[in-house]
Amino acid sequence: MDEFNDNEITRLLRLKRYEQPPPGYFENFLHEFHRRQRDELLRQPLWRICLERARELMFRLDVRSLASYPVAVAAVLVCAAVISLKIYQEPEKAQVALQDAPALSTPANAEGEWTLASPVATRIFRTQPLRSFDQSAQTHRASAPPRYVLDSVPVSYEPTFKF
Amino acid sequence: MDQPRRDEDQELVARTQSGDASAFDQLVIKYTPRLYGLVYNMTSNHEDTNDLLQDIFAKAYKAIRGFRGKSSFYTWVHSIAVNMTLNFLKKRGRRFQLSLDDVDASIQNDREFMELTATSSPVREADLSELQRRLNEAMMKLSDEHRAVVTMFHIQGMPHAEISKILRVSEGTVRSRLFYANRQLQNYLDEFRKNPVS
Repeated sequence: MDEFNDNEITRLLRLKRYEQPPPGYFENFLHEFHRRQRDELLRQPLWRICLERARELMFRLDVRSLASYPVAVAAVLVCAAVISLKIYQEPEKAQVALQDAPALSTPANAEGEWTLASPVATRIFRTQPLRSFDQSAQTHRASAPPRYVLDSVPVSYEPTFKF
Repeated sequence: MDQPRRDEDQELVARTQSGDASAFDQLVIKYTPRLYGLVYNMTSNHEDTNDLLQDIFAKAYKAIRGFRGKSSFYTWVHSIAVNMTLNFLKKRGRRFQLSLDDVDASIQNDREFMELTATSSPVREADLSELQRRLNEAMMKLSDEHRAVVTMFHIQGMPHAEISKILRVSEGTVRSRLFYANRQLQNYLDEFRKNPVS
């Protein structure tokens, strides 16, 4: 046979199973594993060790399943308390929000009720005037002399009525 | 995978998850020889293999609480081993030192070994240590991914489906990597046959 064929390569590779580590290696491997685990544990800060121990204990005692019902009830109670607090505090929060937006103005009366007479509309009109006096006085002919309405009325020589 | 082994592993995993460290010790004892073969044939270095194996079991121990049993423990721990070894090899790059372990004396009684040495001239011409060295050199010339597939299929005798689960690639990819790796190994070993003293 002149060349290695697939079958021979497969056989040769399978013989690599016989390559073994030094004698006693597998017997000592577990001891080495434990030693490294201990070393790693000692390098960790104390709080982390305590945390891990606590988690291990909880896991071992299966605290999750034992405490699932009371925890669920407690969670529901806490949720209910939070929601009720939110509902109770809601008007106050709305007032704060309105203060932040002055354009919408404040409620008309102390009770916080909205009425048609509330100054909301007034405020809107005040904050948005149509045109100022100076603006209205200006025309596109800024350089021209001021014109009056009387100028456009034809002159009449008839005497004025007197009562 | 045979069912008794799987059941036994599941029980040991469950005990480990509930805090029984001695159950994990049994898993370590059980899988160390097999994982040693996997890692060693990918690194070709005993010291690296030892360090990696320690890290692999340490990682498995930390992660075992998250193991939900979707695959067997065997597949799971092999996935950890292959991924960690591939990462290690990427960091190490192409720098490697061959550190060959002793060949077990029982090889002399292996049927395939006897057949090879009796019939195949290239093998017969080379002595055992030289052949071992050449094979390791040829293996190290393969890419890390190809070497992983060759190790699992040819040396460890895993089926394609198991390898595809461990590597998370399709069976077709496993087969094509094997085909390519075989061609590469054949070329390297043919060079050895033509130039046996090089």
